[in-house]
Amino acid sequence: MRSRVAPIFLLAVVSAATAQQQVGQLEGELRLNGKETWKAFDPVREVLQKSSAVIYDGWKSIAYGVIVSSDGYLVTKASEIEGVKELSVRVNREHFKKVKVVSSTVEWDVALLKVEAQGLPVIEWAEPEPTHGTWVVSNGSTTRRDRRLRVGIISANARKVGEGRAPVVLGVTLDTSGEEEGLPVKEVQEDSGASEAGLKSGDVILEMEGREVRSMKDLQELLGSKEPGDKIQIRLKREGEDVELEVELKRRESVFEEKKTRNDAMSGRVSKRRSDFPRVLQTDLPLSVRSVGGPLLNLEGHCVGMNIARANRCETFAIPAKELLAIVSLLITGEESGSGAE
Amino acid sequence: MKQLCLLGSWFPHLAVYLMFGSCLVCAAEEAGKDRQYFNEKEAPENLRDLRNIQKALQETLPQARAATVSIDLGGGSGSGVIVSGEGLVLTAAHVSAGVGKEMTVIMEDGTRHKAISLGLVASTDAAMVQIEEEGVFPYVKLDREDSTSLGDWVYALGHSGGFEKDRGVGVRIGRLVRMAEETINSDCNLIGGDSGGPLFNMKGRLIGIHSRVGASLEQNMHVPLREFLKNWDAMLDKKFVGKGPFAQEAVAFLGVSTEDREEGGVVIKVVGDETPAAEAGLLEGDVILALNGEELEGAVQFSASLKLFKPGEKVKLKILRDDKEKEIEVELGEK
Repeated sequence: MRSRVAPIFLLAVVSAATAQQQVGQLEGELRLNGKETWKAFDPVREVLQKSSAVIYDGWKSIAYGVIVSSDGYLVTKASEIEGVKELSVRVNREHFKKVKVVSSTVEWDVALLKVEAQGLPVIEWAEPEPTHGTWVVSNGSTTRRDRRLRVGIISANARKVGEGRAPVVLGVTLDTSGEEEGLPVKEVQEDSGASEAGLKSGDVILEMEGREVRSMKDLQELLGSKEPGDKIQIRLKREGEDVELEVELKRRESVFEEKKTRNDAMSGRVSKRRSDFPRVLQTDLPLSVRSVGGPLLNLEGHCVGMNIARANRCETFAIPAKELLAIVSLLITGEESGSGAE
Repeated sequence: MKQLCLLGSWFPHLAVYLMFGSCLVCAAEEAGKDRQYFNEKEAPENLRDLRNIQKALQETLPQARAATVSIDLGGGSGSGVIVSGEGLVLTAAHVSAGVGKEMTVIMEDGTRHKAISLGLVASTDAAMVQIEEEGVFPYVKLDREDSTSLGDWVYALGHSGGFEKDRGVGVRIGRLVRMAEETINSDCNLIGGDSGGPLFNMKGRLIGIHSRVGASLEQNMHVPLREFLKNWDAMLDKKFVGKGPFAQEAVAFLGVSTEDREEGGVVIKVVGDETPAAEAGLLEGDVILALNGEELEGAVQFSASLKLFKPGEKVKLKILRDDKEKEIEVELGEK
């Protein structure tokens, strides 16, 4: 699968010897993401100031959010706030210390949060979807008073990314070569739900949630509709005996370590979850891992999407506005049945 | 010394042939000299300036995308850009990695064309590739007047990480942030697979070819177009110009190890499997008396003489086998 990735050679190149020539350099402020250039985007920064949310773990900002209702609903990147103890939210200069995680979807890695507020400025949605080369603006860094920005453009076709794998896993590798009934476990991943439940290499999984599983496809289908933290009943065969276990599902990226490519080596930090999204816009925004989750705006200050992953040195993904709206309405209507936690 | 990442790849292959027509008599000037107003400003001042930059980019982007290709080398990939209707492609020397190598050029829609590398400049990372199939290819115009200056708005295209049909060509915006004679830097972020891809000014004229990156996001280095123009004819003529670091000249290869022989000539001690020597029927124990009529004095001199040939060239060896002299012709391979 990885054969498409271009090899990159680290080469030591003599550069000092040729430095005789006249070399001009553009000052930092004047560069694409320099202070002077940002000034031209100030009307758009104003929108970020008023209607983007900063998500904190204690004193540290860990992500941004998109405000979707004036009474305090906002969405952010779910995997970045998982397990955070001291969650708080800042909008403009107001700090909300009581934050409820209402619900989330692991398929899109989006969580719906709620703060007690009234009259928040709701983001305006852009139409139609932006094309290649359209300026986009998003949160860059933040102080208690001010939101700063990062700018770039829409840089490639909107598309599905990843291979359509379920975003939650048991934490086993399976031997699918045999003809026998069930799915034999080859290896059990450390720190996975499977290892915590006591699954062992050699076990043969027969049923999950009372349904027979015969192939990877059956398994993927079943896991595809699950969220992290969900528990699943497994019946398996171990040395001739029937065994029943309950396994907690975890995020794929927290169980299986991703293989690092050479391109990753030149990318700095990237989002832990950066693949397997049903559809994304691609931008060239130089975002840090901690500045995803916020709105992606066009020059009109309208929201074209929500930043969802820093993928590599030149690619950042955003959930398109249309899909995000559908996710938001799904998460809000699902609130009653959702698994909320203060 | 600096640590830099080359963005393409390199890979061994061989082959022949080229063709190139007449595109160089370009209608260069119509939009050439007058500079776009936003490039005269130190920085854009307002949304209007930004919209004009966006408009300029979007007007020229479709043609630029159509002409930007992925170059598949079998074991890796880089990018390139078509600069003539007949399918002449500019790329980086560390992508084509040699003269006369076979490769595949992939258009954004996935159409694949056979291609062959022409010449290159090993010292600055410039190279040419020719699509071998006949056709009328989309191409971009060159900034022959070298009209850009520091701070100009630019955009970069390339098949980052290799060809991906659903994603297509990636485009990135930036400014020219550093200009030296043989390298220009922009803040368009590049990654592996972009190597050899094009850098455009906001008129859609080609101004450079991506070469390598440094550790910081602001170090994205391109070979300026003038470096190509300076060596244009030599590259068309399949010349290997300059010395490393971006490409190493292919060394001719016979495939034997030899020892000195008192009476003159050299004795073959080993014939490598699947080497040109084995193919030509050379055997262990054969004595090579002469190379293209030149008598051999010893193993060192023999190996030095071989290095003067190029892969693909044929040499005549005078052989002594079972006390009989015979002549064997060998086509040299590539190491």
